[in-house]
Amino acid sequence: MTTAVSLVNLTKTFGEHRAVDGLSFDVPAGSIFGLLGRNGAGKTTTIRMIMDILRPDSGTVAILGGAAGGDVLKDRVGYLPEERGLYPKMKLADMLEFAGSIKGLAVPEARRRGIAWLDRLELGPWKDKKVEDLSKGMQQKVQFIGAIMSKPDLLILDEPFSGMDPVNQEIFKDLILELNREGCTIIFSTHVMDSAEKLCREIALINHGQAVLKGTIGEIKKKFGTNTVALEFDGDGSFLGGLPGVEKVHHGGQTAEVRLAQGADTQALLRAAMQKLVIRHFSVVTPTLHSIFIQQVGSEQGGNGNA
Amino acid sequence: MRKVLMVIRREYLQSVTKKSFWIGTLAFPLVLMLIFGLVILAHVVNPETQRKISFIDETGSLAANMTEALASQEEGVLSDGKPAFVVESIPLTGTVEQTRQGLEQRVLDEEIHGILVARQDLDPNQGFGLYLKSVGDEDTGRTLRRALQSAVVQLRLERSEIDLDRGTLDAFVQPIALKSFEVKAGGGATEKNPAVAQIGMLGFSMILYIVLFFYGFAVARGIIQEKSGRVMEVLLGSMTPNQLITGKILGVAAVSLTQMIVYAGTAWAARIYIMLKQDPEQFRSILELVAPARLLLFLLFVLLGYFLYTSLFAIVGAVSSTEQDAQNFQTPLVMMLMIPYVMSVFFVKHPDSPAAVAASFFPPFTPMVMFMRISVLTPPVWQIALSIALMLVAIYFTFRLAAKIFRIGSLMHGKRPTLPEIVRWARS
Repeated sequence: MTTAVSLVNLTKTFGEHRAVDGLSFDVPAGSIFGLLGRNGAGKTTTIRMIMDILRPDSGTVAILGGAAGGDVLKDRVGYLPEERGLYPKMKLADMLEFAGSIKGLAVPEARRRGIAWLDRLELGPWKDKKVEDLSKGMQQKVQFIGAIMSKPDLLILDEPFSGMDPVNQEIFKDLILELNREGCTIIFSTHVMDSAEKLCREIALINHGQAVLKGTIGEIKKKFGTNTVALEFDGDGSFLGGLPGVEKVHHGGQTAEVRLAQGADTQALLRAAMQKLVIRHFSVVTPTLHSIFIQQVGSEQGGNGNA
Repeated sequence: MRKVLMVIRREYLQSVTKKSFWIGTLAFPLVLMLIFGLVILAHVVNPETQRKISFIDETGSLAANMTEALASQEEGVLSDGKPAFVVESIPLTGTVEQTRQGLEQRVLDEEIHGILVARQDLDPNQGFGLYLKSVGDEDTGRTLRRALQSAVVQLRLERSEIDLDRGTLDAFVQPIALKSFEVKAGGGATEKNPAVAQIGMLGFSMILYIVLFFYGFAVARGIIQEKSGRVMEVLLGSMTPNQLITGKILGVAAVSLTQMIVYAGTAWAARIYIMLKQDPEQFRSILELVAPARLLLFLLFVLLGYFLYTSLFAIVGAVSSTEQDAQNFQTPLVMMLMIPYVMSVFFVKHPDSPAAVAASFFPPFTPMVMFMRISVLTPPVWQIALSIALMLVAIYFTFRLAAKIFRIGSLMHGKRPTLPEIVRWARS
């Protein structure tokens, strides 16, 4: 399998703060790759180095078989930054024409594609309106079109679903999958594990600028798998954390995900729970990415803001 | 290169297709025309009239001489050929003082324009006085002084023992016209009207100042808007910081050039009008002011100054998060633009002084000072060449510095960076 992006020993320091610290991972070509971590873990800094917006202090970035940067290479990479921005005074069609033209499309072609995408996402009637006259959801669509209209070979999405309503989330998820089927490698950076779990095959989990977990979601889950129990019940489940052999409980109201210590008996847990609760559902499950994430990085509190 | 072109294209089209751009562009010549119109209107409303001067003449013979002297002066004759001043001799009633005081009310009532006093002794310091309702009218004072001067010389000659006939006497006191010429390095001298040369120089440096400041700040504002609108990261995902600021600077340059072409067109229309309707000879100094060689040099210095200052303003934009920040950071630039402007009074009088020469080699001052010097004298070619070379070097380094600071500063929001931080960015 070829790699679309390869990071080797990447390091970036801002003043005293080491944002990325010896980070290495490979993104397989044609995959949807999750770059996961808390706010401030170093995701955006890593992405900016992949995009050649920031230069690493040390280490190398190779994308699509070449070093980062260069006009042709940048034309092949689509980027949706976390902080969305459009020129507020520009008309939609003009905005997309510009966005396409700086990605190597000829001006008329960029305009044609921009309008076609606007039509497809039901923004056609707004094409001569100014960006500032649009709702937030519409602006998100325009921004997304700008990132994908040049048919990139690599698409980097930094928190693409933040602040998005469920309808738009669904539209974009379908679009991402469609692009991926057409051969586009996608790097999907997020701290929302649910969406990563649905979309990604492979992930890198970073914390303090270092990769703490790497691999396919299947492998990772298997590694953390056998000792987690999902419960649905009626009653007060707060006592579950105090039971013998229980390492950690994620409470969810009338549900709970209980992680047991290595070798603990799942049936003993069921018996203890039945004494105080009405159990509606009990199953031994693979943990969610969310709980693995919390287990790996959640022990410490606070963040460093967004680097 | 293609990406740079695309940035230029966007920058240009976004400005030029705006209504406000054309309103602003056309408003400037219109405002100028309005001002000229008002000046003309003021003349029409206040047509030239004969002015009565009451002359208290103790000698008894100066008044006649003065009327004669006034008639031989350009300023002493109205355009219809009538004398501009009617000098009436006032017989003494009592002392000179009493006579004058008796007339003062007539000055205040504007029955007469002024009172002229000449003592019998013709004492150069104490013997003469001019009493007007408003001393702001300098032209009247100058015209009367010149006429009185020749009348007095004539009287002194008459009083002396030298025996001269009328014609010789007149020839002696005939006032001269002193014209100014500029000596050229290549040999030959051209007549120049110093007033026109200075006004022209002032006009050009005004344009220079406006172009550098206005468009420089436009570049800074554009960068700040891209930062605050968060467009910056999208742009930098598609191109290098170098490409982006090159495109911005050239794009805004293209916009300003469009405006310049509109103004040049207006000026040419005025020039053609002068050529057709007026006597070109009368406007020789003005036509020389807009001679092609001078205009080309002017354009060259505008361009050099433009690229230096927009690079500096790009730095201002890169380190600012809001326009208020930019207002603070631009202060040193405004100072650099203002100093030569303030010093221009000195530089125009002493264009070859060591201070002026040194200032013209200091790149931030070069466009203003060098052009000023070229306006009033022709500096050695090596000086012009050296100043241009130094400008190019300064532009090269400023641009590189701007690109470096831009790379880091363009993604910074919120907190204003301190000077040491900016220095660190420049070094990284």
